[in-house]
Amino acid sequence: MHDLGPEDVRKLAAALSISLDGEDAMEIAHRLNAFLDALGALDRLPLDRVEPWPTSPEGAV
Amino acid sequence: MSLGNTDELAFASASRQAALMREKRLSPVELVTAYLERIGRLDGRLRAFITVCGESALVDAKRAESEAAKGQWRGPLHGIPFAVKDQLDTAGILTTSGSALLRSHVPAEDSTVVARLIQAGGILIGKLNLTEFALGGTLRFPYGQPRNPWNDEHDPGGSSSGSGIAAAAALCSITLGEDTGGSVRSPASYCGAVGLRPTWGRVSRHGCFPAAWSMDQVGPLTRTVEDAALVLGLIAGYDERDPTTSRSAVPDYRAALNAGVKQLRIGVLTELVDGADTHPEVRGAVREAARALAGLGAHVEEVSLPLIPHAGGVFMALCDSEAAGRHQSWLATRPGEYDAGTRRRLVAAGLIPATAVHRAARARALIREQILAALGRLDLLLAPTSPHPAPPIASHTAPVASKEEAGRRFFGRRSYTTPASLAGVPAISLPCGFTTAGLPIGLQLIGRPLAESTVLGAARAWEKTAALSDRRPPLPTTPSRS
Repeated sequence: MHDLGPEDVRKLAAALSISLDGEDAMEIAHRLNAFLDALGALDRLPLDRVEPWPTSPEGAV
Repeated sequence: MSLGNTDELAFASASRQAALMREKRLSPVELVTAYLERIGRLDGRLRAFITVCGESALVDAKRAESEAAKGQWRGPLHGIPFAVKDQLDTAGILTTSGSALLRSHVPAEDSTVVARLIQAGGILIGKLNLTEFALGGTLRFPYGQPRNPWNDEHDPGGSSSGSGIAAAAALCSITLGEDTGGSVRSPASYCGAVGLRPTWGRVSRHGCFPAAWSMDQVGPLTRTVEDAALVLGLIAGYDERDPTTSRSAVPDYRAALNAGVKQLRIGVLTELVDGADTHPEVRGAVREAARALAGLGAHVEEVSLPLIPHAGGVFMALCDSEAAGRHQSWLATRPGEYDAGTRRRLVAAGLIPATAVHRAARARALIREQILAALGRLDLLLAPTSPHPAPPIASHTAPVASKEEAGRRFFGRRSYTTPASLAGVPAISLPCGFTTAGLPIGLQLIGRPLAESTVLGAARAWEKTAALSDRRPPLPTTPSRS
């Protein structure tokens, strides 16, 4: 479970040369924590069994 | 068809309109004029259009009329007015991608899909509203709040919002949208239209502002399945300017429309039909459609794909991180020109660790593997397009108050349309009923790669059985012509 706060988000965004106001930083923290929780749940899957090939029109994997 | 009422004319399918033109019972000028009148009367509230090309459309219509009088037909869309999502380039015409950042952007050339519709005789009547940069979640639309024609306090769906509205409210004959994670199918579902996402690579994206290149796909939003087949046949095929397009031959999609569903094996996706988020009226309508298809001779069975609930989060991580990379420079230098919803979505995605994005890419491969395995023994998967009917516009403009709410609002519903996007397979949304409140419900059919003919054939079989196409949004009617 992730619990980054607005100040953490501000510092991370600064690395991308993006400055954030208070309202943006708070909502982005909620969104980023949701992402990290959702993606963390993927660790239960056999991710190393496949390569991250995007797709192809003919459906080849 | 009686042409005494222009509403009858406006709501007729493009295929029917084209036939009437060949029979000299309808002229391009008459049709363009009828749509311009409807746009003028209805679009002040619906806000489907960002730009209306009234003057040039009438010039094109007069030329088409003159050519038709001489027996010169450019193609199957000769004299048929179409409109496209403002994410698609149009030569000499403002193309904003729904953003204030591109408020002065006028491309020098047409996108491939627009060029192909014009080559087929189509007349561009306007550019259609969308969520900013086709990403969804726009809080304040810079070119007006698009509204659902069935209830204008409700969301029309996105990101191809204007395409869904214009098709359902009969503001033009046919429209094009772009579907990354459901952006054609969601507005089709919410607005009661037909929306087709073709196989990834079936249709050129040249001249389409990217949302996420690995999943973007252009597709039609129309009032009938036949029109979707007509449009797909015109825009599909290899394009040397888009190296991801398939070289596979383009079949005659309209010829396959009457194939029916006998002997087809259809899997009802239990995770989506019976999911906790699925509204009971949506579940009921989709189950009824499955029973009806079985009655028409399809072999219908339940199928469980346990990875599907992960699709929304995986899609968002991949789509949004691609988009964040595309927008990083503008986010740093022009952040105030973005809508706040778009800006927050893009910045959040830009902060996801690279390792987590890479895991999402591997999860995508697993989800695709599961979908393709199911489609190895089944011809189609069946599911709701959206877990619920169109929500009130006001319901998603409040600030996000927690990570749990962020997950519910941004990932959950996307697990319904993103499986087809992640797998790169074709999927269609078409009406399958209405709620007691009178809002449309969308049925989704998902097919094998490049098997659009099967998808369209089954969709046509359902459309004929359901007989919902005569039901129209409660819009002011046009007086009869003298």
